Amino acid sequence: MRRAALATGAAVALGWPWAVPPYFVFLASLIAINAIVAIGLNLLSGYTNQLSFGHAGFLAIGAYTAAILTIRAPAMPVAVTLLIAGLVTAAVGLALGVPCLRLEGLYLAMATLAFGFVVVEAILSLDWLTRGNDGLRVPAARLGPWVLATDVARYYLVVAVTALLIVAAVNISGTRTGRALLAVRESEIAAQASGVNLAAYKTLAFVVSAFYTGVAGGLFALVVGFLSPDSFDVFLSVDFVAMIIVGGLGSILGSVLGAAVITTLNDSLAGFQNYRPMIFGAILVTSMLFLPGGIASALGKISGAGSRPPRQGEDR
Amino acid sequence: MTWASLVHVVISGLATGSIYALMAISLVIVYNATRTLNFAQGEMLMVSTFVGWTALQVLRAPLIVALLVAVVAAALLGWILERVVIRHAISATHFDVLIITLGLSLILRSAAGAVWTHDEFPFPSFFSNRPVALGPVRVAPVSLGIIGASLALMLALGALFRWTRLGRAMRAVAQNQRAARLMGISVERVYSASWVIASVVGAVAGVLIAPVIFLSSKMGLVAINGFTAAVLGSFGSMPGAVVGGMLLGVLENLAPLYLPASIKHSVPFLVMITILLVRPGGVLGRVARRKV
Repeated sequence: MRRAALATGAAVALGWPWAVPPYFVFLASLIAINAIVAIGLNLLSGYTNQLSFGHAGFLAIGAYTAAILTIRAPAMPVAVTLLIAGLVTAAVGLALGVPCLRLEGLYLAMATLAFGFVVVEAILSLDWLTRGNDGLRVPAARLGPWVLATDVARYYLVVAVTALLIVAAVNISGTRTGRALLAVRESEIAAQASGVNLAAYKTLAFVVSAFYTGVAGGLFALVVGFLSPDSFDVFLSVDFVAMIIVGGLGSILGSVLGAAVITTLNDSLAGFQNYRPMIFGAILVTSMLFLPGGIASALGKISGAGSRPPRQGEDR
Repeated sequence: MTWASLVHVVISGLATGSIYALMAISLVIVYNATRTLNFAQGEMLMVSTFVGWTALQVLRAPLIVALLVAVVAAALLGWILERVVIRHAISATHFDVLIITLGLSLILRSAAGAVWTHDEFPFPSFFSNRPVALGPVRVAPVSLGIIGASLALMLALGALFRWTRLGRAMRAVAQNQRAARLMGISVERVYSASWVIASVVGAVAGVLIAPVIFLSSKMGLVAINGFTAAVLGSFGSMPGAVVGGMLLGVLENLAPLYLPASIKHSVPFLVMITILLVRPGGVLGRVARRKV
């Protein structure tokens, strides 16, 4: 059952560009990129119960890193570019994450929100590097002898990277690290008492989350081909939060589904810009009130498979 | 720079600071009752101010009527949101309620845009904008007016918390909800009252600041500075909120004189990150230790 579902998913992903009009290839790339961010954010929020409103800032760092690398070093293989984008973002994540560990959920949410604003301001003031408000045009990247110049080529790159990162995220939960993170999720105090180094694992979650988002940013730069600071505003961070809320906290499948739902919705509401936040707000409120586990838990209930139980209210 | 112009900058900083302080107080009132950071606080301020402005346009009424209409609208809005939405999520985690208020803020802003458009509108002021000379110092009456009105409102709130039955109940709930309930306090009533009072404080702040920053669907963003102010003065404390607000307002007005202009917009955020990282308990407070 599980294997069949995986095979179908892989077949659909590979055959997609040949079955649909070009625009939907681009849209599918965006969905996959957002899925990477959602998985990264979910590693942070789902496991350590920390909310970030700054992931648009991480995405921007990854995107600008990849774009500047592609412009300055056109011969660099795209895999290296993406890796560097991820590592630079992870380094920023480490610098922000270490001091942020002292913060409880609410304060972390606000600190990351502020971080998002500061990144946008930094892009604007570093205009010799980022071209500020004029925006940055990203040339096509190279993979060995190939130039990734078409939507379809870029789509396959995005799908390959996404698959790799999904497999990595799935496998994290089977390792010692993954079990430690699960313990942190269930109870920080109990995990600490069992010898889990809380600070180290929370930092790790933050850094890995930033890395995922940085790689996604690099892909974003290549797929969209044009970067400007206003594509990375706080509402994008809110979109990412919406993806994991709608999809399901702590679920990788949920992250992907949430990314698909929110990205598609964003795209179909493009003509109704003024009402988009209203619809998003309504989605956030209703899913929190009536579907706290997101789509993933609803699917779990239907198929009877065990899924994460709804979280109980903390003792207030 | 001369000392007189420095005083001028500090006074206008205190004026914006008073607004931040009022916003911080609203956030803290809600936080102390429902342990929620209300992301929609700024949008509630914006919607109430818009309603007051509509009364001004439609009824051609004096400004004081607009203030009253805004206050009544704010009270209603606060009551309805708490009663209809927040109350249902009260057993959920802070995380969930935070997301809900975030959703509410998006809805309110978008709805305001649909009703009143996303344009900026001028808003009449109780106080004149033309500077007057006080000795060598030139001061805009509007700054003094904002500071005075805010201080008056803060004193009224202080009296409410100190001397009324409701205020005592609110303080009890802030300290320990379970014990408060066992003492016969209706915690639910405190929830409602807190949302209403916070919303009303926001409406007054909105009417005071709208002449300065214009009335627009974006003006709710002032709540972020309110949060910074509250953290600056130790989140959860009322006197801290006032001190933090004033401090942030003055800092924000002084910073552009000494720092490159491009950094100006980042000042409140940099202040927030710095204070969260260096002294999460605020400049006045201690870090609360979490108990098992």
